[in-house]
Amino acid sequence: MAQEPNADPVRSEFSDDPDMRELVEVFVDEMPDRIEAIQNTWSEQDLEGLRQIAHQLKGASGGYGFSPLGDVAMELEYSIRETAEIDEIRQHVDELVDMCNRVSL
Amino acid sequence: MRLDGSSDHPLTVEDERTPKLLLIDDSMDIHRLLKVRLKDERLELISCDNGAEGLEHARRHAPDLILLDLNMPGMDGFEVLQRLKSADDTVGIPVIVLSGSDEVNDKVRGLELGAVDYICKPFDVAELRARVRSAMRISHLMDLLARRAQIDGLTGLWNRQFFDERLAGELAASSRDGSSLSLVLCDLDHFKSLNDQFGHAAGDDVLQAFAKILQRNLRRSDFACRYGGEEFALILPGTDSRQAMGLLERIRDEINRHAWPRHPKRGITVSFGVCDRARDGGFDPVQWIETADSALYAAKHNGRDQIQLAGGAPRSASLPQAG
Ligand SMILES: [Mg+2]
Repeated sequence: MAQEPNADPVRSEFSDDPDMRELVEVFVDEMPDRIEAIQNTWSEQDLEGLRQIAHQLKGASGGYGFSPLGDVAMELEYSIRETAEIDEIRQHVDELVDMCNRVSL
Repeated sequence: MRLDGSSDHPLTVEDERTPKLLLIDDSMDIHRLLKVRLKDERLELISCDNGAEGLEHARRHAPDLILLDLNMPGMDGFEVLQRLKSADDTVGIPVIVLSGSDEVNDKVRGLELGAVDYICKPFDVAELRARVRSAMRISHLMDLLARRAQIDGLTGLWNRQFFDERLAGELAASSRDGSSLSLVLCDLDHFKSLNDQFGHAAGDDVLQAFAKILQRNLRRSDFACRYGGEEFALILPGTDSRQAMGLLERIRDEINRHAWPRHPKRGITVSFGVCDRARDGGFDPVQWIETADSALYAAKHNGRDQIQLAGGAPRSASLPQAG
């Protein structure tokens, strides 16, 4: 995507929680699929599909210990719901994909 | 009051099992997270990812609590909630909305449709657990309250109000599926003279002892009710009059052989009137009660301490007693 990736990893606040570690791993492992889904809906201008993905990420990311990711997803969801300018939506998509690329255990 | 949760009490029937929590949410992430986060709660978690299936699960499993997402493809959470609250078999199940929307409008609408609580996603785990526990606690107390209103304080059996509702319900079920059904009216013989002679405490003891004998001999699917002063009514679903007679013989035998410390020389006997589907063609509760009552009257008239089938010959008539 457009932005130069930031290398700093975003870590889960539950990395050391033995109950959660396995779940967080699965979430991180599945991240490429989510990124692909975001990029596909965006390139097809399927804004409702994109909003759904952002909505789910908003609700779930905090549960995996990635609250900042949930916040970025929320920004994207709201910008679509409030029919923001396409440039603004693009900016939130880029931010979200960037952060998705950086989540790790 | 015998509402103390002793083991033979109707109030305790469902208290031992693990409560069920039904999760209806289209996000697999929420399914995974709750499975881990609620694993130490005493809960059986049932999950599904759409509203139609959720309604089906709610009917089939009768969960103790539902966690319901709002934003779902197909049937959304509001519609699920509306349907849950408009069906007799699901209206009493408490629902907590678990939604990604923090809009006041959605919260108000969810609560007004009958949800007991509203939790926003992302949720705090400790808060979610506390709210789930709180909802279960309240729902347990509501159940207890509703059941207590249907229980006779002295004997711990179902009360007259419960009997009236239940008989109508069982008659309707029997007329629908053709299953057998028996109704029994029982009356303690010479109860007034017992009270006069030995006092009301002795009378209460007898009522309680008879209630225990009934509870010991009845199946889980039967209903023993205190119908009035010394009158009891038994609703026996899936039981024809022949089976009912066998059961009543055992009960009659037990009460006859029971020892009474307060009046060792004064035994207690009971008269029974039985009505079943073969005796009464219709399904009118009032008619059934009248038919059973006539049989009970015949049992009394024929010398008490016996079981009389409506329209049939008396059974187990013992030596006639005075009075
Ligand atoms: Mg959803």
